[in-house]
Amino acid sequence: MGLLGVYFRRTVGILRTEVLVLPSRVAVLVFIVALMALPIFTQDYYFLRVLILTSIFAIFAASWDLLSGFTGQMNFGHALFFGVAAYVTALLNLKLGLPPYFSIPLGAVGGVLTGLVVGIPCLRLKGSYLALTTLAFPIILTGIVFAIPEVTGGELGLAGLSRLTGSRVMDYYLTSGLMLILGFTMWKITDSKTGIILHAIREDELAVRTAGVNTTRYKLLAFCMSGFFAGVAGGLYAHFMRLAGPSGLEVGLSFQVIIWAVFGGMVTIYGPIAGVFILYPLMEILRVVLDQFPSLPEIRMFIFAALVLLTLLFMPEGLIPWVRDKIETECPRCKVRNVFSRHRCRICDAALD
Amino acid sequence: MQFLGRVGTVLLGLSLVLAMCLPVGAVEPIKIGVLGPMSFTQGEGHWNGATMAADEINGAGGVKVAGVMRPIKLIKVDTNEFLSIPDATNAVEMAVSRYKVDFLVGGFRTEAVQVMQDIAMDAKKIFIGCGAAHPELCTRVTKDYDRYKYWFRLTPINSKYLGKVDFILLGTAAAIMKKTLGIKKIKVAVVAEKAAWADPIVNISQKLLPAKMGMEVVGVWRPSPVAKDCTAELAAIQRAGAHIVFTTFSSSVGLTFAKQMGELKVPAAAVGINVESQKSGFWEATGGKGNYTETINTYARVAITPKTIPFYDKYVKLFNQAPNYTAGTYDALYILKEAVEKAGSVESDKVLPFVEKTDNVGTAGRVVFDKSHDVTWGPGYVTALGTQWQDGKIQCVWPYHWEKVFYEGTVPFKLAPWIVDYWKNKK
Repeated sequence: MGLLGVYFRRTVGILRTEVLVLPSRVAVLVFIVALMALPIFTQDYYFLRVLILTSIFAIFAASWDLLSGFTGQMNFGHALFFGVAAYVTALLNLKLGLPPYFSIPLGAVGGVLTGLVVGIPCLRLKGSYLALTTLAFPIILTGIVFAIPEVTGGELGLAGLSRLTGSRVMDYYLTSGLMLILGFTMWKITDSKTGIILHAIREDELAVRTAGVNTTRYKLLAFCMSGFFAGVAGGLYAHFMRLAGPSGLEVGLSFQVIIWAVFGGMVTIYGPIAGVFILYPLMEILRVVLDQFPSLPEIRMFIFAALVLLTLLFMPEGLIPWVRDKIETECPRCKVRNVFSRHRCRICDAALD
Repeated sequence: MQFLGRVGTVLLGLSLVLAMCLPVGAVEPIKIGVLGPMSFTQGEGHWNGATMAADEINGAGGVKVAGVMRPIKLIKVDTNEFLSIPDATNAVEMAVSRYKVDFLVGGFRTEAVQVMQDIAMDAKKIFIGCGAAHPELCTRVTKDYDRYKYWFRLTPINSKYLGKVDFILLGTAAAIMKKTLGIKKIKVAVVAEKAAWADPIVNISQKLLPAKMGMEVVGVWRPSPVAKDCTAELAAIQRAGAHIVFTTFSSSVGLTFAKQMGELKVPAAAVGINVESQKSGFWEATGGKGNYTETINTYARVAITPKTIPFYDKYVKLFNQAPNYTAGTYDALYILKEAVEKAGSVESDKVLPFVEKTDNVGTAGRVVFDKSHDVTWGPGYVTALGTQWQDGKIQCVWPYHWEKVFYEGTVPFKLAPWIVDYWKNKK
């Protein structure tokens, strides 16, 4: 009982001193609590389906940010990792009968190996050359998928995978829980020594190399890590949709992930997650609203595109960094963030104005 | 007392008016979800066919369910399936769980329809497919009947049968050329867009034409599905001495190819699949150069059944275009109406046996579902059509006394005059 009390007091202390002092952290806490509590209030199949797919795509978008945002390795073919992992997961499940808790991690390993396969030839490439090369990979794989339909199912894909869990609510908790854990893991990676090196490679690779760091190894590591997280998303997708098909390799999906990440805010991890959590359900809200006006032409994609363009016009860094800069200020002396209403830093007491 | 009596009379009168109004408002409509990519021609076809049928049924009083006339309410479900499969699944899930639809019709892209099928089967909703041709969708019914029994395919006929019709059209054109021009051995150029779905047709053509149909394959050409110039292929085909160009096109290349073939007056008949030439705008889009292009089709202004021509004319009048095969939603609604009325219920399990026993004279033929819940193909059932552009009109040219099948209004297949001149002068 005493031990519990100690833990409780420590938790309250952390909440009071670390979380409640910053609006962005409060927003994250509210988001987590709301996400976990949601099925208590509604178990609507449609609502949960949208949020399950949102969580899966949030992992996928964050994994792109890890590679392209933090390391600067501009990947225009990120669907490759997603698609390969989906196919590996599907094959393991359908051919070997492996359940999702084995097939998904092994599918993610497929994503890691794909990261290596793509990473090695791309090491010498930069900028638009790298982007175009990465764009080619999923297109090549789509050709292979159609060339060996007996293995890949051709245009039909591989259907009939076992369900993720037994129920929609469990699917929801698994995907949203994994999204939170993997999102936090990616964020911690970027905050670690490795993350700082990755960031430095993005800013000035030559300088990092002259400092004695093997940048090749780190770039490959970024490809593999990104491949792993995108692979988990691909595996979850395959089991939830019960299908791994050529649509998982489409160029459209690769561009979609970039739109989500850039809209939310690159080089943050949480930005792309927020981007997906805003834009993906927004498309569904638009569907519901526009359904009330059946005489209107199909303008969902137009509204979506216009909104993204307007947002990026006024918030070039992305939505979340823009909001964060409005509600928080950085201390010029100790670089700690403070709520915008404070005049002096909560840590070093320096003037904030 | 007299005042109370008057008030009582007024109240009684009001109650009677209310009682007369209430039953009309209280009748629950039968909700049918129409699934399709609504921004595209295919989705338009789904919606147009369904609205036409629903308006007709509702105009006639509705569907009689256990003695009560219930109207049909259509729910437009934009699946956006060409661009996003998750979008398609969300749309179907919404239709099923939010709008509580009783039945589903439509669907187009096979990969998406598979997932939509799963959602419909989870919810035990009868789903009549009007768009995806892959046989696997119905194979699922035979493999796992208990789960997939609610799925039926109405249009088009499955791709195996489409392949059969494709080769019958080729054989018919070849026979006409042999007879008219006295050619002993027909030379065929196989031209298929570079797409996965066309690969099996190309492979089978190369084997079947020389081995079983006594024709010579002079070459295989695979232009891009979005090619804007096919003159190189057409020049090569002419040099190869082809009598027939066996086409397999579903994309815009069909338009380019047909137009340039007419411009160059290539002395070969274009026969096979060309989805672009099924559309009403084909003539204008090719500037009339697509004349004599033949393709497989579902609808034309011929009396496949007594319902076809009235349906075709009304569709053209309402939507200013000819119906494509996704407009099969029209027949789907009538099949559901018939089954619901016989079952006296909208519950899937009660309606299912009656849909299975469907023997309905629809607009595209007599609809009978086989054991895999696929529409039966063949003489006396749905046959599909061969249509050819002839001087600005899309004409049905097949079946033309094939297996004793002839639809009133069908005309003979025509060879372009420059083809006839070229091969007659060549002798």
